[in-house]
Amino acid sequence: MAISEEYAKEHAKSPAVLCCRAEKGVVLTCHNLEDPAIFDDLVDSGLLNLDGVLTIEQVIGATLQDTYDSLTPLTPDKIDAIQEVKEEKEEAPKAEPKAAAPAASFSAPVVGGTLKISIGEGKDIHVSMPLVSGGNGGAATATIPSEGGAPVATVNAEPKLLRTLTRHHYKITEVKRGPETKIEGTTLYIREGIEKDAIASQELVYDLKIDIITPAEYHTYSETIMDVQPIACKEKGSELGSGITRVLDGVIMMVTGTDANGVQIGEFGSSEGILDENIMWNRPGAPDKGEIFIKTQVTIKEGTNMERPGPLAAHSATDVITQEIREALKKLDDESLIVDKETFEQYRRPGKKKVVIVKEIMGQGAMHDNLLLPQEPVGVLGARPNVDLGNVPVVVSPLEVLDGCIHALTCIGPASKEMSRHYWREPLVLETLYDPDVDLVGVVLVGSPQINAEKFYVSRRVGMTCEALEVDGAFVTTEGFGNNHIDFASHIEQIGMRGIPVVGLSFCAKQGALVVGNKYMVSMVDNNKSEGGIENEVLANNTLCHEDAVRALCMLKARMFGQEVKAAERKWNPAVKDSNIELISNVTGKPIERVPNETSLPMSQKRKEKYS
Amino acid sequence: MKYTILLKQHIGAPCAACVKAGDKVERGMLIAEPTGLGAAIHSPFDGKVAEITETAIIIDAENAEPKEDKFIPLTGSDDMELLKAAGLVGMGGAGFPTAVKVNVDLKGGYILVNAAECEPLLEHNIGQLETDAPKIIEGVKILKKLCNAKEGVFAIKAKHKKAVDILAKLCEKEDGIRIHLLPDIYPMGEERAVVREVLGKLLSPTDLPSVADSVVINVETVQRVAEAVLNKRPVITKNVSVAGKLKGGTHTRVFYDVPIGTTVGELIERAGGIDGEYGEIVMGGPFTGKPTTLDAPITKTTGGIIVTKPFEDLKGAKMGLLLCACGGNEERMRDIAKKMNATVECVQKCKQAQDIKGTLKCENPGNCPGQAQKCMNIKKAGCTEILIGNCSDCTNTVMGSAPKLGLNVHHQTDTIFDTVGKERMRYLTTSKTVPQLGEEPEVTVTSSESGCEYTVTQDVEDGLLHIDIKEGKNIEIELPLFL
Repeated sequence: MAISEEYAKEHAKSPAVLCCRAEKGVVLTCHNLEDPAIFDDLVDSGLLNLDGVLTIEQVIGATLQDTYDSLTPLTPDKIDAIQEVKEEKEEAPKAEPKAAAPAASFSAPVVGGTLKISIGEGKDIHVSMPLVSGGNGGAATATIPSEGGAPVATVNAEPKLLRTLTRHHYKITEVKRGPETKIEGTTLYIREGIEKDAIASQELVYDLKIDIITPAEYHTYSETIMDVQPIACKEKGSELGSGITRVLDGVIMMVTGTDANGVQIGEFGSSEGILDENIMWNRPGAPDKGEIFIKTQVTIKEGTNMERPGPLAAHSATDVITQEIREALKKLDDESLIVDKETFEQYRRPGKKKVVIVKEIMGQGAMHDNLLLPQEPVGVLGARPNVDLGNVPVVVSPLEVLDGCIHALTCIGPASKEMSRHYWREPLVLETLYDPDVDLVGVVLVGSPQINAEKFYVSRRVGMTCEALEVDGAFVTTEGFGNNHIDFASHIEQIGMRGIPVVGLSFCAKQGALVVGNKYMVSMVDNNKSEGGIENEVLANNTLCHEDAVRALCMLKARMFGQEVKAAERKWNPAVKDSNIELISNVTGKPIERVPNETSLPMSQKRKEKYS
Repeated sequence: MKYTILLKQHIGAPCAACVKAGDKVERGMLIAEPTGLGAAIHSPFDGKVAEITETAIIIDAENAEPKEDKFIPLTGSDDMELLKAAGLVGMGGAGFPTAVKVNVDLKGGYILVNAAECEPLLEHNIGQLETDAPKIIEGVKILKKLCNAKEGVFAIKAKHKKAVDILAKLCEKEDGIRIHLLPDIYPMGEERAVVREVLGKLLSPTDLPSVADSVVINVETVQRVAEAVLNKRPVITKNVSVAGKLKGGTHTRVFYDVPIGTTVGELIERAGGIDGEYGEIVMGGPFTGKPTTLDAPITKTTGGIIVTKPFEDLKGAKMGLLLCACGGNEERMRDIAKKMNATVECVQKCKQAQDIKGTLKCENPGNCPGQAQKCMNIKKAGCTEILIGNCSDCTNTVMGSAPKLGLNVHHQTDTIFDTVGKERMRYLTTSKTVPQLGEEPEVTVTSSESGCEYTVTQDVEDGLLHIDIKEGKNIEIELPLFL
């Protein structure tokens, strides 16, 4: 379609192709030219051959030598003269304040941050500094010679510790039923008959069964997995996101279920089937191989599987059991049972590039909801559903994320959805939190509403939030694919239009190819791990992993330091990821371990039928 | 014979009947008055009011076709009063009350007479110019005075050589009336296209021609203006072109002064009657016409009646619609798709089509903004067929991509064109510009020998410039690129 003048300027270097028939003698303007955005499709369709084509800036103003039809690539023989391109040369900015001020202070961060020079008073001051270079690790040096005494320069770049979170790990090797819920040594007992209390707690829950799945029982059938949760509690006096959290190792909670008609509580795709054929082990959100599952199988009122109260009831009923285990865990006072202590420190790093992580979480309703900020890690009590908060951005600390501030009610698109446990081990949060080169200001959680108007409502808030945070760079991550990509793209646009470099992370590949796009979506990381680039219904297969976090962080740093990120290829090409990982390994000297994918699992009947 | 005279034959509110059942009526008698924006309605027949319904006055006529043009003359003290009383509306099809339209001070602007007759198969406008031009010139003079315009301009396609010649001779004698030639492109008759072509001003879809100090008015309306003012004749008849699958041939028959209220069926009978099986009957032109029925009455805005052959059967093939301002609206396009037995899978809208109060208007009529993307979208939706109603230029663009994408192109005019043996709308081969009358291109011909004789002629019909050179050696011809 004919393009606007502004658009023509933006795409001055793109191929010039007639959008419609243009007659001999016409002086070409942007209105004669087709939108370069569709050329790839046209070339693919065999409609266009761009060999020898001139660029838009070379043809605007030229006279057409003959009458040509639509989609004619403009080559030199078709116009009277190639138009000269006026290069706009920008003068390099000079920083040479000449004033009298012997007392000056400046802060020079190690890599590319902001250099601040404050001069109180002085004479004949001459500041000279190297132009900011984009390389990693090169420190900017500045000298301020001055008459009348040595300048006082202070470099203020000490990291500032905001808070810490310590996890005390308690090992569980056996889960048994017993007369009361308690932990004895490494054995967890779950009270017999607790199911009744769980069922009674929720009107919509008709039935609840508990299965203790040990590694020996991995090869058994299960209904669709609605969530995987760590079993953890806060120690007395500690609030979520700081202080001490107790967590059980070797055991997780698993919520599964159907409605009374046997319909899986899922939407497009579900993960019901033989457990060890449908779980991608050791993903941040998945069970680790060897762990024991306390698996609830919840039956909710027929037809409520697609309404908000249904899935919430299944989660709440399960949490009755988890809460009783938490109470037992809180009671332990035997230090010797702690097998490991792990401390997370949240630092702000003044002077470093300020970075925010925007995590788009589901907020369409039904199982697409998230309980935010419960009292206990991944609990229910005290939390507010994301949907009820209007899906607007909520700022949390990285430690709150790692302490289970998100109780996820997600179960569809099993391969790309983030389970509650995912946040507990969020790779991008961890990677960014510990990168000494960046200053992680916080994590913004934003819901993905159902209606487009609401999507843009929340994305505008995301843009404003990032503007207020004055960040130098942002990550936007999303789970799932399709509908949520509309707001995902809009978040990136809202941040990008404020001049902030953005790196997007999502499962895309083949099946999740982006349905919308904008000019700010230039640095993207694909979370895909599947062979075919598809949602293969294997739990957590295509979720954000360490290898994705590393790539995203490198990409954002490159963007923040003004380096270019090469344009993506038109079609999904897994080799791009391989070469990026290799590039990063070569630079850092550290190999990046790749996670396995579904090919490491026994082939399920479903996968065989649907995906092979 | 009973005839239905609709109470709403114009843009605005329906008129209110001012006669009642049983009343005797005479030809030209006022039978309904405007209640808001509207135009008076007069009886086209002598006879009796049989019935008054919510939407129409039914007249039991003594004669279906009056032998002589007798009518009750209008009363009014000045031209404007006569125009109001006559019940004039835009007869090109829009139906906007003329008295309202011309109640404007153009401050020395332009009366643009729309003689493009852009809808294929319609011939009554050009026919009128060939037979009744002096009266139309009178109409222009009345309007010039009424609207304080300095110029009257006939916008007519160069291909209508006979009408152009007749008009040109008449214009020579008149002050401030001239001809502007249009290329043979659809939709040159679109109101804003006329303004753009004649005055070089592109109006936005929401602008009225008055923004360019002009009024655009159809040829027949101008003729009826003259009749109202000079003959005190109300609007009781309409000129109609009838074509299609008719006994005696598919060519166009022009019926002048068909009494309003005459049924479509009657007019078709007068044209010879339907020839065997047919697809649909269209009231209006191939682009903007709508399906009608045999018992529907002719109104002040009926321009054409076209009977088509049966539709092609696409056997449920998946079809994409490309909506635009030139062709039918979505309802009409879906109607055609259904008649072709296709399933509509994708609806795209031309980039230039703006929705103005529920009607699509083109930002720049007749100048394509590119359609490749729309074609690809339709292809991506899994369609094998694409139905368009586009103008000449856009259709040409669609032809540049759709067939290569494997889409079978259907134009909404196809069935009609097939019926009358006219080449389907596909590629654009004529220029969008034509030389104006008296516009001689600067052509120089030189030869190495002296006295090279040559002639330069432009042919308005084929839109070509012809250079004939007797003889010469090393001949060089120079002419400006802009022709």
